[in-house]
Amino acid sequence: MTPSQQALAPRLSTTLDTVQEVLGTLVARYRTDEVLTSVRQIPAREAKFRPVPDWVRRELSEAYRAKGIKELYSHQAATAELVHNGRNVVVVTPTASGKTLCYNLPVLNAVLENPDTRALYLFPTKALAQDQLAELHDLAKRLDDCFGVFTYDGDTPNDARKAIRERGHIVLTNPDMLHTGILPHHTKWMRLFENLRYIVLDELHSYRGVFGSHLANVLRRLRRVARFYGSDPQFICCSATIANPGELASQLIEGEVDVVEENGAPAGERLFVFYNPPMVNRNLGIRRSYINEATRVAKELLARKLQTIVFANSRLHTEVLLTYLQQANPPKPGQAEPVRGYRGGYLPGERREIERGLREGRIRGVVTTNALELGIDIGSLDACVMAGYAGSIASTWQRAGRAGRRSGTSCAVFVASSAPLDQFIVQHPDYFFGSSPEHAHIQPDNLEILVNHLKCAAFELPLSPEERFGDVELPELCERLAEAGFLQRSGGNWHWVQEGYPADTISLRSVTSDNFVIIDTTGDDDGEPEVIGEVDFSSALTTVHPKAIYIHQGQQYHVERLDFSQRKAYVKRVNVDYFTDAIRYTQVRLLEIAEEQSISGPAARAHGDVLVRSQVVGFKKIKFFTNENVGSGKLELPENEMHTTAFWVTLDHELLAGLPFTLSERQSGMFGLVYAIASMATLLMMCDRRDLGTAVGERPPSAGADTNIAWQDCATATVTSPEMKEFFEPNLYLYDAYPGGIGFSEPLYRICHVLLTRTRELIAACPCDNGCPTCVGPAGDKSERSKEVALAFLERLCS
Amino acid sequence: MAIQLNVSRTTADRFSRLKALQPPSTLPLSGNEVGPLRNPVEEESFGCASGVTTGSERLALILGASVKRNGHGEHLSLHCWHGDHAPCAPDAAALRLLAPDAPQEVADAQQWLFLDTETTGLAGGTGTYPFLVGLAWWEGGGLEVEQLFMREYSEERSLLAALAERLAERPVLVTFNGKSFDWPLLETRYRMTRTIPPPAPRAHLDFLHPARNLWRPRLGSVRLSQLERHVLGWNRGADVMSELIPSIYLDFVRRGHADPLVPVFQHNQMDLRGLAGLSGRILSLLSDREPTSGDGLELYGVSRICERRGELKRARKLYEQSIASVLPMETDHAARAALARLARRDGDLARARELWESTLGNSREGYEAYEQLAIYYEHEAREPRRALTIVREALAHLRRANQVGTITATTYRRAKARFELRLVRLERKAGRTLLDAFDG
Repeated sequence: MTPSQQALAPRLSTTLDTVQEVLGTLVARYRTDEVLTSVRQIPAREAKFRPVPDWVRRELSEAYRAKGIKELYSHQAATAELVHNGRNVVVVTPTASGKTLCYNLPVLNAVLENPDTRALYLFPTKALAQDQLAELHDLAKRLDDCFGVFTYDGDTPNDARKAIRERGHIVLTNPDMLHTGILPHHTKWMRLFENLRYIVLDELHSYRGVFGSHLANVLRRLRRVARFYGSDPQFICCSATIANPGELASQLIEGEVDVVEENGAPAGERLFVFYNPPMVNRNLGIRRSYINEATRVAKELLARKLQTIVFANSRLHTEVLLTYLQQANPPKPGQAEPVRGYRGGYLPGERREIERGLREGRIRGVVTTNALELGIDIGSLDACVMAGYAGSIASTWQRAGRAGRRSGTSCAVFVASSAPLDQFIVQHPDYFFGSSPEHAHIQPDNLEILVNHLKCAAFELPLSPEERFGDVELPELCERLAEAGFLQRSGGNWHWVQEGYPADTISLRSVTSDNFVIIDTTGDDDGEPEVIGEVDFSSALTTVHPKAIYIHQGQQYHVERLDFSQRKAYVKRVNVDYFTDAIRYTQVRLLEIAEEQSISGPAARAHGDVLVRSQVVGFKKIKFFTNENVGSGKLELPENEMHTTAFWVTLDHELLAGLPFTLSERQSGMFGLVYAIASMATLLMMCDRRDLGTAVGERPPSAGADTNIAWQDCATATVTSPEMKEFFEPNLYLYDAYPGGIGFSEPLYRICHVLLTRTRELIAACPCDNGCPTCVGPAGDKSERSKEVALAFLERLCS
Repeated sequence: MAIQLNVSRTTADRFSRLKALQPPSTLPLSGNEVGPLRNPVEEESFGCASGVTTGSERLALILGASVKRNGHGEHLSLHCWHGDHAPCAPDAAALRLLAPDAPQEVADAQQWLFLDTETTGLAGGTGTYPFLVGLAWWEGGGLEVEQLFMREYSEERSLLAALAERLAERPVLVTFNGKSFDWPLLETRYRMTRTIPPPAPRAHLDFLHPARNLWRPRLGSVRLSQLERHVLGWNRGADVMSELIPSIYLDFVRRGHADPLVPVFQHNQMDLRGLAGLSGRILSLLSDREPTSGDGLELYGVSRICERRGELKRARKLYEQSIASVLPMETDHAARAALARLARRDGDLARARELWESTLGNSREGYEAYEQLAIYYEHEAREPRRALTIVREALAHLRRANQVGTITATTYRRAKARFELRLVRLERKAGRTLLDAFDG
């Protein structure tokens, strides 16, 4: 947001007193320091200005001046200067610090200097591209429409596409469209590629893991096509605060990158509060539900007329929170709901309306998933409530940044769940405030991903043996592709020899690209069925399986039928007092051991390749507010298969036999142990909890020979074993939850000792008696001694 | 040594587990399935006698094709001549309808170059190659056909250079669906060479759209082979399914199976001959010299082309002729609706009214007619009451159709909303006229 826009919307500034008052109300009944583990005041920051560089053309600086921008923030000036000098740049910008100017200024200046200049802007989502379009159109109008700006995505009408290819100086698109729509048709984009000078990568930090590894390969293809047309574009990247923006950027673009980290934008005073729900049962380690507590916090804030954003970590929790908050804040007669939900499954029109409502202040509160974590323009709000830890320090700051006025005080409240990571963070605020945010990892040379993009590259231009594409022996790989019937060598080069169109079958984001459409059939008799939303393939099995309760905009729907082949879920509106939680069953098959080594115990650590099969086999019904388990059901759904990498610890039989526990105690101790190790691993690897899967299984006599079984409950990720069977020498697996792996297994193998020592500290320091969600998982599902057993294992492993 | 073996096996395994390296599932394509034309005896004699080893050499032999060389390399070329075609002499009226902005050369059929390509895929994109470019032109009182073929991918440049030469000799490109498929694909290929500039045809005549206008109402779809059979009365006999063509070529490239390609060459020749025949037929239908066809549907098609090109007088005349002949109900209504539009434009409201009245009913044209009549009575004839009756009738019709289920829900909702709006306005207006009458 530009300073001028900010000035246009003056609001009452929140005072520190209001926030203090809210906190007072909330903790009145409890010992303050146990509940409010940290209240940090982050002082206001002054703006650092620099003059507009003199190489900027007068008409452009005039246009910005007319928008109210007379000077640049220091980071904007630094970025513009570097770009002007022909450098690749990554600029680190928190929410609302005027990042678009960082790239628009040098790009537009170049277009004004030479009208042939072309630029390609990449945003991770369509919505973000749309968001930028308005700003650029405004600038275009001020500059007599001397340049063309267009979005090019799946929604672009066919008849408009030709004009965009010819007349678009700046084309706004997303990696997926570049991958399937632009690169395979590069001859139609000749004008763009021949004159391509700048590529802008916005929200760089979102390109990590699988998505980032894919993008790195798409960019390899992009640079290859650009070279073909004789251009060598420069990259301008913007990232939220992460530990390694420069490293990530240079890995993605495979070139040198300068980093601009100093932020010259001003910020108002902020209050960051850590809120740990009070204990209700110290022995069992049970705290009050963090969802209910987050609701209370949000209610108090809303009651004081503070515009509030609430983040939850799953769709389900978004809807539960929304239900509670809407009940507490009913609309005034004849007016729209003041509290709305916002997440991936909502339709685009609905989302635009909510964004507008937030900017204009009509909507007082919004409950969202990470969908609003990215740079969608919703203005700046007064308060942010995070129900549960966002999974990383970077995301937490990003979310907190949604609340932040230029003047007055804003506040962010983190309400911890009883998950280990949450408890660790909430009890060690210094760790959070003192650590650098996470590293973003990518693995562009993941073979599965690379080979897929190599096919696309061959489709785009024949591959020459002299070329380089990632860190692989290109001729050897091409020979393999030729053997498999994809390529054919002719005149020295390899050509694509398939009828199909390789990009169509490769999704950059998930295993498959299909979504499930959700169809409401409630009003079937008096009208047509209505599409109310969609879910992606991987969440479909856990959220819209038959008999599930699917919650959309606070309304419950019962899933009547899941048409798997047509990718449709038919639902009916219902009103029940429970929600459903799917039970997943996971099998790990060991394919190949990369490294293995004995450790004390006796035990062994190892990493290598595995095949993970998972299936949703049933669900539980859980009552609202009390979280009681009120029923369950079985399901028969198709199996999912994934080849990935894993790290594991093998417990020797000698270790098991040497401990004075019963069979069932040992078993539940193992599941408790793997639960705790996984929690600690996400912290040490600084990755998302969902990036690592866990399983326990029998050690196979040799790789590929045996199948291992474990049960996993999706929402809480606790490992339970309803059909307890004895393990002779169990393997405790932590696997990368992406096909091909994204590089956690080997580092985990290296730091195995630290991992186990820290896990021991985590469990030992936990105040509960017999295990709780904070250490080895909830006690209810396990034997009473699981905590004790897990600790005993660790004693031996760490000795 | 043992360790090394182990390592290499591991690498091989790593590759073998890659999903991305798994061969794609393709249509089963053994020689037997495509090969009623394949002759085992022939294969044997060629195989042994001359020591032919590669698929390319064998292909050249069985087709009787020769290798052509130019500055960009080699490709295979096959010539033949068909005497049973006579060149047409397109007249000005027909060409005006086909390509109104085309330059002079179009009128000279000697300048025409018929073109049809066979490609490695139908989806387009830069990885789709035109492996066979069929060309034909009028020569010696018949049709001369030349087929340019790339035996492997590296021969594409030579093939493209040869095509550019032919096009320079005969600069009027004539195709069937070439405007949206063959020619853009070839332009892409020229761009991919970076050295051979894409040739620019002086004019491009494409017969797909006129063929659609003329024969889709009768035939449903307009594939070239179908048009040959039903419009020209030809019979292709055995023909390869065009969906199979890419995989036949890819099979040749990968495994050297030459024989299944023979029917592909024949298919391409037949497409070119069909295109030449059809272009003559379409031109004579569009010309205004002959008394044109007696087929109502064809007449209707010609009228539509005339209307689109702004030759309204001719369009009106032909629409009249078409409804005077026998037409299926739907086409008849469509023709009447179009004719009514033209008549109203000409100020011939009496004829227009007649036509609207004859098409009222439960169809798109039927409701359009109701609406047009209502407009006519409201604004032209100044009889709002009569207009009101018409609108009420239309609404009754809609409701009945909805009850019986002979109308889709959306059409119903939209049409109903439109008529209801009109109804409200007319009721107000009719009421006022009544009051006016009292006042008067």
